[in-house]
Amino acid sequence: MTTDPIGIVGYAEIPNRFRTGRSAYDLAGEAFAALLERTGVALDEVDGLSVTAALSEGTNPFFAAYMCEALGVTPTWLNLSATGGCSGLSAVMRAISAVREGHCRVAVVLSADAPSTIYRADFGAQRTEFQEPQAAARPPAAFGLLMSRYAHQHGLKEDALAKIAMVQRGHAVMNENALPKLRTPLTLEEYKASRVVADPLRLLDSVMFCDGANALLVMSRDEARRRQLDKMLLPTAYAEVTNHNGRDPLADITESGFTALGPRLFKQAGMAPKDVRMFQPYDDFTIAVQLQLEQLGFCPRGQGADFVLDTDLRHSGDLPLNTGGGQISAGQPGLAGGPLNLVEGVRQLFGEGGERQVSDARNALVTGIGVIPYGRNWSTSAAMILEAA
Amino acid sequence: MSKDNAPAPARKLPSENLYVDSSAFWQGTRDKKLLLQYCPLNGRFQHFPRPISLYTGRRDLEWREVSGRGRVYAVTALRTNGLGADGRLPCVLALIDLEEGVRILANLPGCAPGEARIGDAVHLVWDELADGRYPAFAKS
Repeated sequence: MTTDPIGIVGYAEIPNRFRTGRSAYDLAGEAFAALLERTGVALDEVDGLSVTAALSEGTNPFFAAYMCEALGVTPTWLNLSATGGCSGLSAVMRAISAVREGHCRVAVVLSADAPSTIYRADFGAQRTEFQEPQAAARPPAAFGLLMSRYAHQHGLKEDALAKIAMVQRGHAVMNENALPKLRTPLTLEEYKASRVVADPLRLLDSVMFCDGANALLVMSRDEARRRQLDKMLLPTAYAEVTNHNGRDPLADITESGFTALGPRLFKQAGMAPKDVRMFQPYDDFTIAVQLQLEQLGFCPRGQGADFVLDTDLRHSGDLPLNTGGGQISAGQPGLAGGPLNLVEGVRQLFGEGGERQVSDARNALVTGIGVIPYGRNWSTSAAMILEAA
Repeated sequence: MSKDNAPAPARKLPSENLYVDSSAFWQGTRDKKLLLQYCPLNGRFQHFPRPISLYTGRRDLEWREVSGRGRVYAVTALRTNGLGADGRLPCVLALIDLEEGVRILANLPGCAPGEARIGDAVHLVWDELADGRYPAFAKS
């Protein structure tokens, strides 16, 4: 067991594109090959692999092993990460544990999905009998309900949700990997004119499915130095929870796992929300961003809209928000979308943000949200604070 | 019941018992009774049905009829195709807190969007499908 720090030393991301006609394996291969090329790691040196479960390969329980065959990887540690939008964050932590335990030395966290080409997920379980007959199983239905309850408890400020969408769109304009059709600035009028999908949720509050892939490289500092990989990030804090309030049939649906994990996370990191340099939260819908700001402690509960309206969230601002555009503006490549904001955090902390580079990029708070449950907010919440080693 | 003029395509009931034994729930729909899973050791309901009691971790579970009376906890109206409500848009969907202390996802097939508000009292009605019926709610 090594005591050497273990963290993220490389990343690769391919452009988000709509209906590529390609498989998750093919997209994964492109991201994986780019990672090898960027880091100088040889194919036969990769001995640890985590593969993110994909909507486009949803019916195949052997997806991770098939990925090894497709890519010619022979891992001594293999993981299928299946917490939806938390899969990337949680896989990085598990890869670090695997390296620390000596199960592997060079681990890749690989996420690829092509839901705009083919959607093969069959969720089964309780959904068939108890959610699908009412049309209650899809994310917009769940978030329409959540927003209605939030509006009842605290009131909704449309301008705040619009600002989240507009700021992130501004960042996507500067991100060449973002979906081309989303790389134009968004106005308040356009936001307000966008159609309602599930009251009060609007189309422009929402992500758009696309195809894409990304990869992260995890190893120890000694291993990285030997390879002249001089940029390394450590998760100085990580917390996750699944099925928060899961035994309470009347739980407050506006309260998520972030309420529980926020204090734990900041205590681990030895910092407070005000010390966060940039916020790269999971963003399936704009309200999720606002809820996370409240529940992670950036502002009191119910005051997320005011916080959004009072804070400069641009890449040049006080609390840069989803500087790559997030999933809402860069596109959501299915379950490879979870690590999209993680990869952007890594890019920023490596100082490779280009024209959207955040100054004094000393840390990043990255989050994940995973899985639509029955009549609740979401199933898994995960958060990580990344800092340079 | 839909306020849409276009007739909705015939919706069919899902297969029963694929997840856990839910036959009591489905027999209830045929008898026009809403039966939900009940933990006799704890005296509480749970919904959707589970393989064990959420309150004790044991498999002591039975099915009991609920009053069908409750209040709207959250409500939305689906307005777009592709969400499972094609042919019956707008489709009002709510979380209902039943008097018995359990929450259920249900359509409000007789309500127009905006008509049912959070806190409104509702009661059980039946959504008639091609081959059976499914529990739904209406404003009281």
